[in-house]
Amino acid sequence: MARPTTATAGIQPAAHSSSSTGSAPTAPAVSGRVPASRKQPSHRGRFLGRTVLPVAAFFAVLVGGWQLVAVRSDSVLIPDVPTIWSSLADTVTQPLFYSSLGATLLRVGLGFALAFVTAVVIGIVMGRVEFVRRFFEPAVLIGLTVPGLVWALLCVIWFGVSLTNPVVAVALSAAPALTLSIYQGTRAMDSELREMAYVYRFSLATQLRYLWLPSLLPALLSGARLGLSLSWKVIVLVEMFGMSSGVGYELNNQFAAQNVAGVLSWTLLFAVVMAVLEYGVLQGLERRLGRWRKVATV
Amino acid sequence: MSGTDTATSSSAGRIQRRPYVVLDGVSKEFTSARTGVRETVFDDFSLTVHHGELVAVVGASGTGKTTLLHLVAGLERPDSGRITLNDDTLAAGSPTPGAGNSTDMARHRLGVVFQQPRLLDWVSVRRNLELALTSSGLDPAGADRALADVGLAEYAHHYPSVLSGGQRQRAAVARAFAVQPELVLLDEPFSALDQLTARRLRLLLQELWTARPRTGLLVTHNPLEAAFLADRVIVLDGRPARVSAEFTLDLSRPRTPEDPRLFTYQNEILAALG
Repeated sequence: MARPTTATAGIQPAAHSSSSTGSAPTAPAVSGRVPASRKQPSHRGRFLGRTVLPVAAFFAVLVGGWQLVAVRSDSVLIPDVPTIWSSLADTVTQPLFYSSLGATLLRVGLGFALAFVTAVVIGIVMGRVEFVRRFFEPAVLIGLTVPGLVWALLCVIWFGVSLTNPVVAVALSAAPALTLSIYQGTRAMDSELREMAYVYRFSLATQLRYLWLPSLLPALLSGARLGLSLSWKVIVLVEMFGMSSGVGYELNNQFAAQNVAGVLSWTLLFAVVMAVLEYGVLQGLERRLGRWRKVATV
Repeated sequence: MSGTDTATSSSAGRIQRRPYVVLDGVSKEFTSARTGVRETVFDDFSLTVHHGELVAVVGASGTGKTTLLHLVAGLERPDSGRITLNDDTLAAGSPTPGAGNSTDMARHRLGVVFQQPRLLDWVSVRRNLELALTSSGLDPAGADRALADVGLAEYAHHYPSVLSGGQRQRAAVARAFAVQPELVLLDEPFSALDQLTARRLRLLLQELWTARPRTGLLVTHNPLEAAFLADRVIVLDGRPARVSAEFTLDLSRPRTPEDPRLFTYQNEILAALG
């Protein structure tokens, strides 16, 4: 991580209005962390107490509550914690888990990449050309409201068990939100900086590298996170209905066997992997690339 | 560049009679964002800035000062009429604003200081200057000297967000002069700063100007700033805008901000503004 940033918090850079609206999705997260990093001797202990303790407490209550209900109900439909745990351990040690996960991630990756490329192109053009904006606006709004389940069903019907099926379903469900995010980022882009780039004769390459990319980065990353969370919800559906491999397919098998512990362990493991991608990888990237925002105090 | 004389203290010796910026019968109208009504900002408007001359345009807000500067910078195109820079005509009547391809404009190196610094926040101060330099086909090594000239040498490697408002605007001034501009455009350059900082920056600007005289157009609503910096002050008024008064300031440089003659000019300009 960025070394000098952690200790400096205090004052946020007085970013001018238009660029701060551009980074709206990230701004609250940044300022929310500010009080946690005052320079104090017990800094680290307090930090842990504030951030780790509530999370640990949540899981303790969840696990404890679950165990209580399971013991009280004494039903095969609510397995107790040790049963779930051994099922989890079982699943993790099977090669099947890794091959299923790999298949699912490949499908999500391809579909998401397709959605991302489409959304970047359409979103930027929407932000610049009025006609294009009006043309795609209904498509984006409809796309946002159609449930992922519908895309999953349609794609299974249209494309069967081919790879096209999950890829298109993921792309269709992630693209509208991504497009909207990138469109908004383009709109929020600082027209003053564009004028500056014009009067100083910035080449197209310089503009893309030094003006467009950094300006759109918050929108790209927050859009990517949103798109990814939509993607993995729809991929499970597609795999349940129409595929013969992947995490969704295995979940369906567990469901068919009425194995609640199996359903839970597959779900938990997949959720962990997606959370790592979403919060670990993407948020880490966002923080790293947004370093310049936080070096305000010296 | 080749046309400018060596720095002399009297403006009369430095300014050549050769016109550099010429607006000839320029008309420009646009739809007001507030009222939705078409308004004519300029109708058959003409203005000349000579080689080596710094002309200040003063007027109340909404008199088209900034539009005038945008027209000269090529950020907006006139609806009709002709704008020439050093005898090169900028395409008139073409509706493409700003980011368009204007090869005719690209021949002229501009240094522009806007009201806001307009630095790229995600690269260092030095990189901000280097990008402008390389884009103008100049050696990026000039960035350090330009920063030293405005007293920012030690901040070269910092992000702009570390700098104070006055320092950021200094960096913007450094960038404008680093590109060795033929024409410097100043759009309310110090109006967003506190008085003391603005005063220091005006002195800095005068220093840079005295060292390397250039052709310049300054837009301001501050009559004292106009009197302190300019060779000639033009008062804009009305809609469509017309020149309601014009003052040639016969004051040698360097000028001191406390010079009583400046206040006399200020009062005359204020009287002309109504």
